[in-house]
Amino acid sequence: MKRVLLILALLFAAFILLPSPVGSGGAAQAEDLVSGISQDIIQITSSYTGTNIVVFGAIERSQSAQGRDIVVVVRGPDEPMTVRRRDRVAGIWVNRDAAQFEGLPAYYYLASTEPVARIAPREALARYGIGLQSLQPTAVGSHHDPEPFRQAAIRYHRRVGLYAESPGSIDFLSESLFRTRVPVPAGVTRGQYNVEVYLFRDGEVVSAQSTPLFVDATGLERRLFNMAHDAPLSYGLACVFMAILLGWISSVLFRRPG
Amino acid sequence: MEIYLPVAEMSVNWLIVIALGTLVGFLSGMFGVGGGFLMTPLLVFTGIPSTVAVATTLSHVTASSMSGALAQWRKRAIDFTMAGVMLGGGIVGTLFGVWLFALMRRQGQMDLIVSLTYVIMLGSIGVIMLRESLASLRAYRSGVTVSSRPVNRGWIQALPFKMRFRQSRLYISVIPPIAIGFVVGALSAIMGIGGGFIIVPAMIYLLRMPTNVVMGTSLLQIIAITAITTVLQATSNYAVDIVLAGLLVSGGVVGAQLGVRAGAKLRGEQLRLLLAVLVLAVGAGLAWQLVVRPADVYSLSEGAP
Repeated sequence: MKRVLLILALLFAAFILLPSPVGSGGAAQAEDLVSGISQDIIQITSSYTGTNIVVFGAIERSQSAQGRDIVVVVRGPDEPMTVRRRDRVAGIWVNRDAAQFEGLPAYYYLASTEPVARIAPREALARYGIGLQSLQPTAVGSHHDPEPFRQAAIRYHRRVGLYAESPGSIDFLSESLFRTRVPVPAGVTRGQYNVEVYLFRDGEVVSAQSTPLFVDATGLERRLFNMAHDAPLSYGLACVFMAILLGWISSVLFRRPG
Repeated sequence: MEIYLPVAEMSVNWLIVIALGTLVGFLSGMFGVGGGFLMTPLLVFTGIPSTVAVATTLSHVTASSMSGALAQWRKRAIDFTMAGVMLGGGIVGTLFGVWLFALMRRQGQMDLIVSLTYVIMLGSIGVIMLRESLASLRAYRSGVTVSSRPVNRGWIQALPFKMRFRQSRLYISVIPPIAIGFVVGALSAIMGIGGGFIIVPAMIYLLRMPTNVVMGTSLLQIIAITAITTVLQATSNYAVDIVLAGLLVSGGVVGAQLGVRAGAKLRGEQLRLLLAVLVLAVGAGLAWQLVVRPADVYSLSEGAP
């Protein structure tokens, strides 16, 4: 948090010191965007229960707030997913049809000054992949309409907090300085994330900036995960050994007083 | 209070998990069972993916069977020959079960198979135990001693490949023990159980083993089967979470010791009646989940099918 405040203060100072081109009749010059994130690595430790990152930015050559919108998108790594639909067969619910998707992110968070549908037309949003409805994964090997399955995938991720749209969640600290808080829940996948900040002026993107964000496990968690996948035999034997040892210790400990 | 599980890739409240381990350990110590049939559904209920729940519960069963087996070993009440023969079938059964588990997971039918197997096994075993314990309680009240139902052993005696089991004072074919081992091994991989509630009745009623060696031999068998299944699940499905296992085992071994003490105060028939009710309740709960309309008929799994 301290770091964020420091960077914000520096940005702010830079704006006060620089002569404003807007004031000197340079309205022809386009607005520009500078943005940053409070931390570029999220480390998953044994006590990790989710965290927040702060995305902040400044608009250079800021013009009127009227018709101006900011959209922040944080996108996790794409993951192949399988969505299944249950149907009732002989009284019990059984998985029947399935659709397999590629190109759906494991995490998607959107913060904006307004609901995205009011910021820009659908085609513009789709071009930049802005908004949950513009997530258009490719359906692999399905023999039926993948749309309800795609909707179900989005619904599932929203329910577990991995997808969210949060309009109206961008705070302006001044005419040109803004920030927003992005929740990163406990269930996030490891990998490279991307933080994208878009500046819209009357429904058009006039400036955009993208910053990578890494989510990674550290210390013991990382070693255990790696061991489970790279040396599964020793890992399995370690589990068995631990169970037998603890069982033996407890029987020795409890035998004396009993 | 939260701790991150590296394989399940989620965080859980570790106090709740230890409490769960202790509770199931207590019940398993009290009733002399491994407790896997309780642990797996409870873990799934707390949000652990069922593949991880099935594979990780096995360590809990290994640990709680360990202390029981040690006590029996001190009394020299283990038939190692019988355990060895059963394990022969058990290893093949385990391999088959783990293969089936991976196949069902790819087909998206893993949850269904686990639930159905549970409902069928718990339902039938629960009803048998309930009837048996009620009958012996009634007999106890009226002062009549009932001998357990004689089982026709004609076909078992007729089987070839006979072998002498010195500790059990038996001379029988190796086919029935191997077959029992196979079934229990397969169920162990699919359900995450040790299979004590199948092995014990099978040893008593089918093999006619003397009751004093049944407990120790079945516990040794359970330790071996759950240990092998854990390693196989770890190598083929990457589904064992060592942090979750450590928490469950720590609670479980303490609970088991307390349970043994509590169980000593109750009569055998009462214990079996309570266990029957518990088994039926878990079975009924799982059956209900199969027939009730799910909140969302769509479900999602990561990765390709």
